[in-house]
Amino acid sequence: MEALHIEPSDDTPKIYFEPEVDLYVIEGKSLPENAIDFYQPVFDWTTKFLNSKEAPSNFVLNFKLDYFNTASSKQIAKLLRILEICNVSQNVLIKWYYDKEDTDMLKAGTRYSNLIKLKFEFPVNIESNID
Amino acid sequence: MSGDPLNKEKLGFIFKLFKAMQKDNLNYIYRGLFTAKITDNILALAETNLVKKDDPRALKRKVYNVMVEGLQNITKHQADIDEEVENNNGVFVLKKENFKYFITTGNLIENENIPSLTAQIEQVNKLDEDELKAYHRQVLVDGKISSKGGAGLGLIDMARKSGNKLLYTFEKVDDKYSYFYLHTEIPTTSSGTSLSTSANPGSIKYISALHKMLNEENVLIIFNSYFNQESLMNLLSIIEKQMVENVSLKKRFYNTMVEMFQNIIQHGDDYKQTPEGKAGLFYISETDEEYLLNTGNYIRNTKIPILTQKLEYVNNLDREQLDEFYNNRLFDFEIDSNKEAGLGMIDIRLKTDSTLEFNFLKIDETYSFYTLRAKISKN
Repeated sequence: MEALHIEPSDDTPKIYFEPEVDLYVIEGKSLPENAIDFYQPVFDWTTKFLNSKEAPSNFVLNFKLDYFNTASSKQIAKLLRILEICNVSQNVLIKWYYDKEDTDMLKAGTRYSNLIKLKFEFPVNIESNID
Repeated sequence: MSGDPLNKEKLGFIFKLFKAMQKDNLNYIYRGLFTAKITDNILALAETNLVKKDDPRALKRKVYNVMVEGLQNITKHQADIDEEVENNNGVFVLKKENFKYFITTGNLIENENIPSLTAQIEQVNKLDEDELKAYHRQVLVDGKISSKGGAGLGLIDMARKSGNKLLYTFEKVDDKYSYFYLHTEIPTTSSGTSLSTSANPGSIKYISALHKMLNEENVLIIFNSYFNQESLMNLLSIIEKQMVENVSLKKRFYNTMVEMFQNIIQHGDDYKQTPEGKAGLFYISETDEEYLLNTGNYIRNTKIPILTQKLEYVNNLDREQLDEFYNNRLFDFEIDSNKEAGLGMIDIRLKTDSTLEFNFLKIDETYSFYTLRAKISKN
């Protein structure tokens, strides 16, 4: 299946879903006015991919967000719900990255992990970005 | 004076401020001490945020130059004032109107300097373009330094760049000090026009009156704009550059502003139909303990009862209840549209750890002016 790449903008994150290298990342800021419109393609792609023959047995989704608004938080909840449903046939792991001093971001991740039946890890962002 | 509630008087202030800025098309105001860093930041804003992207380069350069001189003027005079003097807060105002930019600066000076300053400005205003050029050269060569360390060069430069007479006024504070306001107009077309008097002499009076209001309320930054996503992004980058506080405070600011703005984008009403979005006011003021983030915009009277109910409900929840309410809403996909996630106000309450203040000022049978205030503790 074709990868899903969305370039970041001032108010939307970078989406890098690349089956070829088995890397799935949502990274940056997310504060669009119309969060639903932005995330719909992500839902569609994820649902299709995880129900396809190419679906990996272990699916790791990396959240590397600096900031998101409440409109986005609801769409992230939706994405996690989609993964929760797929979790029956795949092993889904959520890696929720946060900056050491950004306790709000850690809290937000913890909140999701308490409300969703998925495995979560909370790695601390390393200062220097290794791309 | 911490957490002054939004009483009738205060509401009057916010609406008056809004009206004043609307009427005079004021776009951006900074009030406070002008440190080197703040000055640099305001100049950076001129390049990125305050000046329209599609303005001609020559105009941008002019605006920038006049801003540099004006800001240096403030810092120079500011340094002369004893530290214990209260209200030694300068003001910088940028306004855009009909392809023109107007820059007004205001700062405290000693009364005894008024005559020499007046003479300098009058001297500059007497000259036409060529004479200004010659005078500029002469001052450079002679090095005739004024007592304030400038050479009047700043004033000459401002007059030359703007192509207009300099407007000024003094507002007496007490026996020792006055505020000095200087107003410059920068028109887009400048080629060959002789120096004309600014078309807007009322503006400077307006700003001096406004400055008084801002001093009373300890207002730091005002942004008058249409509430849309573009102006939000613009304002966020302004705040990022101007708030020199720590990371977590910055985040709280950022977060609260996004939710307040997007709430208005979705739910605010427009008094007059404008394609740009909903006219509104955003300003930051402070007390010793907290920053106050304030929005003001029009809303239809019919929406007030439900909005009041919602805000009061959220205000009355304690931390635990807020958390639970948030969790429920987060996964309640029944409430899920671009208009409403149902989380904004809860989120502000959770992250600022304080209640929201709000009020409605009835304008007419259809509209009210809705003010919302979030408080962010400095600690």
